[in-house]
Formats: sequence, structure tokens, C-alpha cells
Amino acid sequence: MAYVLQQLLTKSAKAYPDKPAVWARGTSITYRDLDERSNQLAHLLRQRGIQKGDCVGLFFPKCVESIVSMLGVLKAGGVYVPLDPQAPADRVGYIISNCGVRILITNADKRKDLSAETLGLVEACVLTEGNGNGADLIAWSQLSEFPVSHAPEVTLVETDLAYILYTSGSTGRPKGVMLTHQNALTFVEWCAEEFKVSSNDRLSNHAPLHFDLSVFDVYNTLQASATVYLITEDLALFPTSLGNFIENQKITIWYSVPSALMLLLLHGRLTPEKLNSLRVILFAGEVFPMKYLRQLAEISTKSDLYNLYGPTETNVCTFYKVERERLAEMEKLPIGIACANTECFSVTPQGKLAEKGEAGELYVRGPSVTYGYWADPEKTHKMVVANHFQENFEEKMYRTGDIVTVGEDGNYYFQGRRDSMIKSRGYRIELGEIETALLSHPGVREAAVLAVPDEIIGNRIRAVVAPHIAGSLGVLELQQYCASRVPKYMIPELVDLYDELPKTSTGKIDRVKLASERAGAMRA
Amino acid sequence: MIQAAEVKDRIREYVLEEFAKTKGIDQITDDEVLTKNGIIDSMGIFRLVAFLEETFNVRVGDEEITHDNLESIDAIEKLVLSKAKK
Repeated sequence: MAYVLQQLLTKSAKAYPDKPAVWARGTSITYRDLDERSNQLAHLLRQRGIQKGDCVGLFFPKCVESIVSMLGVLKAGGVYVPLDPQAPADRVGYIISNCGVRILITNADKRKDLSAETLGLVEACVLTEGNGNGADLIAWSQLSEFPVSHAPEVTLVETDLAYILYTSGSTGRPKGVMLTHQNALTFVEWCAEEFKVSSNDRLSNHAPLHFDLSVFDVYNTLQASATVYLITEDLALFPTSLGNFIENQKITIWYSVPSALMLLLLHGRLTPEKLNSLRVILFAGEVFPMKYLRQLAEISTKSDLYNLYGPTETNVCTFYKVERERLAEMEKLPIGIACANTECFSVTPQGKLAEKGEAGELYVRGPSVTYGYWADPEKTHKMVVANHFQENFEEKMYRTGDIVTVGEDGNYYFQGRRDSMIKSRGYRIELGEIETALLSHPGVREAAVLAVPDEIIGNRIRAVVAPHIAGSLGVLELQQYCASRVPKYMIPELVDLYDELPKTSTGKIDRVKLASERAGAMRA
Repeated sequence: MIQAAEVKDRIREYVLEEFAKTKGIDQITDDEVLTKNGIIDSMGIFRLVAFLEETFNVRVGDEEITHDNLESIDAIEKLVLSKAKK
């Protein structure tokens, strides 16, 4: 049994050295290549000072080298931190500083996006492509100087950190969810059993690598000695091309957010023939509207469909296998029942277990649960709490902030959030992070950010701003300001400028009133 | 009737105003790959197509919504001009 992720690769490379492991843009590398290159990278990183537990950032668009890098860092005993290649430099710089990234794996192009201050924080940059001048630059070709046959000697246990995934933070800065090998493997093992992933499978990878859906795509592929097909940005945005990709590469397992599937349905010119090879379709990250799920079910008659649920802090913790015969009459899709080796509780505000039909907050315990947020004991203590139901020893559980009920069918049903976190296109967004960004603008006196429900992407983002001086700020200016602070999917699409924001009787911003007032009145 | 010479300018203006500027990008070159830096996202592609259809009176089928046809201002101009000939 593997206890660290890289053992999944070593085992598969021994059994299937010449089999393709990773495909991207029409070319692939074999298991032997992946194993050898990641060994070399691990030795290089050790030589440059990476020790157990050190953070290595990955900042370049998805490609074969992404997977080599992930495994290379793990083999060096390091912790990889996938950085969104499309995030603004300020945000990337913050993350690099926050977790103390020592070495950054990037390319010449993306490196130029970072500030001198950010680059000054890292000891060295490994360039997957491109050149540059500087003693701190290491070319990818230097990997060839290092041993291929084995990884460096490092003593690792399953509770060592493997990666950190940063998610939106309500107080304005992203927070780093720490994930151990055990966290990841608990999920991987459940997936392997439930979906019976085999060496004949061809898994697509739609999600970006800083999004935990990709953990299934990459590591279940390695576990089963299958092949993963990376969907790069030239494919991802073009539904018809994606539909052709599924057919041409004979994808057998697809995992993505529902909005990607909906775009495929609406614009991908899908036919049952195109989806012939797909035996499993998984979706997670946001609510899948029943109307579109029924359309998907009709066109994908050969596939098992699953709704997976779980925050980054636990990866998937509950699942529901779609019962096709119930689809016609079902009003709402459940999030299902707990995965193997995971336990879920629904807890009332009074701290008691919720009764059937009673709403409660979903708490999760088990080896898939994070130990907390990097360098943020305050947030960690808020969300990773003592399990007061456990009488025999001290144990933690994670409070998801999701309100659920248990249905007649024994499944959990999602009812809403406890706070102001929303989903848009499956992205997790704390409205507070956007508000903080707006409020940091010197010309802004007040700001509120609201979600506007949308049939396809879940929510659109609307900002309402009152400047210090009436008429001094423009919509475009505010959007551009946000663009320098938050990822593109968090930039408010709709911006309304007010002289003064409406208040409730207690003096707080009246969000209910704002929501009911016509949105987009002053859109650029 | 929009002249062939104007097509590229109109496209460039639209992409700049609707996508680039709101994301903090002040200028883009004609051969720059728009999808690379997240200038256009999955919903944006369809807004762009709607603009092309309305402005240039052409029809862009779903199967034509590909990376090759829409990856840059140059590519988009080529797509539009190829339809105007028909």
C-alpha cells in the first residue's frame, strides 16, 4: 500500500514503463520518462537546498512538465504549491511570500510577470522553457546531469505535507490549505474502489492544477497505471474542440465542474457517438441544474454519472451516484452519503446532531481532513475544531460552512452557505475578498459585493461602490483595480456607483435592499 | 456596410474594451494569443461570437468556434473576411 503519493508512480513505472502516462497537446511521455525526469528534478532540488517540508512553487501553464514537477518536488521531500498561471502578479507574490517558496518552477514568460520584489524572495527559478540571465536561473536541460534510476533518500511518512492549495479568503487574502500524503491518498483510494479505475482508462484533466479536482485526474491515473490527458487552455475554452477531443482521445473518465459540462451540452455539438468511450462522468464544485443534468443523462447513456461534494479542506467527502430512473421526478440533486474512510455529521447551531429533516452544518472527520491553513492558526482554529462527539481522545473535525438536510432517501441535500462564500463557474469566491480589494482603493469610501444568480455559471459578481468624492470613480477603473488584486473570475462584472449605500436600522450595509434594486444600472 | 480594412480595427477595439481593459490589460498585439492569459474566458468566447455575428452580419457555427479561428485578432479577422466573400 502506498503511503506517499510518489510510490504510486514508482510502482506503475516498474510494471508499465513504456505505457503513456501523461498526454498534452498531441504528445505524451511514458511512465519511465515521468519516473526518470522526476527523479532527476528531485536530485536537482535537493542539490539546490530543498529539504523536507520546503515549499516549491509551480507557476506556468499546464503541460507535461507540470506533472514532472509535482512528482519531482514530492520525491525531494518538498511541498508543491500550484500557482494559478492566470492570477495577477500581486496575488501570486502574496502566496509565494506567505508560504515561503524557496524555489520557483516557472518559464521565462511567466517569470516576467512577477515583480522584482517577489523574485527576490525566492532562491532560484527552474525554467521549464525559455532563457534568461542570472545566477538564480536553472535551465530544464540541467536535469540531465542528475541520476535517473532512483529518487533521493528522504524519510517521509504519510502525515508529511504533499501540497498546499490556496483558496479565496474572506478577510481579503487567499488562505493555503495544507494537504498531506494521507489526505490525498484517502481520497485516491476511495476513488479507485468506487470508479474501478484500471490501466485501460484514459482520464481527462480539465481542472487547473491548483484546484483539487486535478488530484483525482493525476494520482488516480498513476495509481491505476492509466493515462491522463491534460486539457490545456487552447482546448478548454472551445466546446466543440472539447467534444472532438473526448471522441478522438477516447476518454473514459471525465471530471469537471458542471458549468464545463453545460457549455459542452449547449455548444459542443455532442452526440451519443462522441461520448461512446465515456464510462464515468464526475462533476463537483457547484450545483448542477436538474434541467441540464437530464440533458446530459440523455446523451451519455453509456456513462455512470456522479455528483461529488467536498471543500478543498477535505477533498470529496460525500458522493451521489445518479439514479437515472429518478431523474424525471427529482427536483434537486443530493450531495449523497459519506465516502469510505470519511464520516460526516450534520450539527445544529446548538452543537447537537441534527434530526432527520432538520437543517444543520456539515462537519467532516477522518484522514482526508486538512490539519489547517498554512501560517494561520486563527483561521485554522475557527474551521478545524475539536470533535466534541469523540469522548475517548482528542480529535479534530472540519466545519464546512455548508448547511444540509438529510432527505427521506437518506442522502444529504445542500441547502446553502452559513456565510458569504459563493460559487461562480465552480470557483470558490469569498465576497469579502473582493470587498477588501475594493476598499483598499483610496477613492472608495464604501463597498459591497453581491452575488447575482445565473442559470449557467451559478453566480455573477456585482459590486456596489460609494466613492469619497461623487463622480470621481469610473466602473472600468474599479474593474482594472480589482484585476491587479484578484483572479479574473473574481472581477465584478457589474459595478453600480452610488453616492451612499443603503443601511439597515443597525447601521450595516443593507444587502437585501441592494440585491432587490436593479443590478447593472451603470455597467460600463 | 463595413469595409474590409475596418474589420480588424473593430475587432481590436471590441476585444480591448470588453475583455482586456476590464482585466487590467491596456494593449494587446494583433498576433497575441488571447486565451493564454485569461483575457477571454469560457463565457467570453460566446459574447465575442455574438459580437462578430451582429457587427459583421456573418454566421459562426459552433464547429467554427475553435482555437485556430479565434486565438488572436489576426485569426478572428481572417475568419470574418473568409465569410464575407461567400
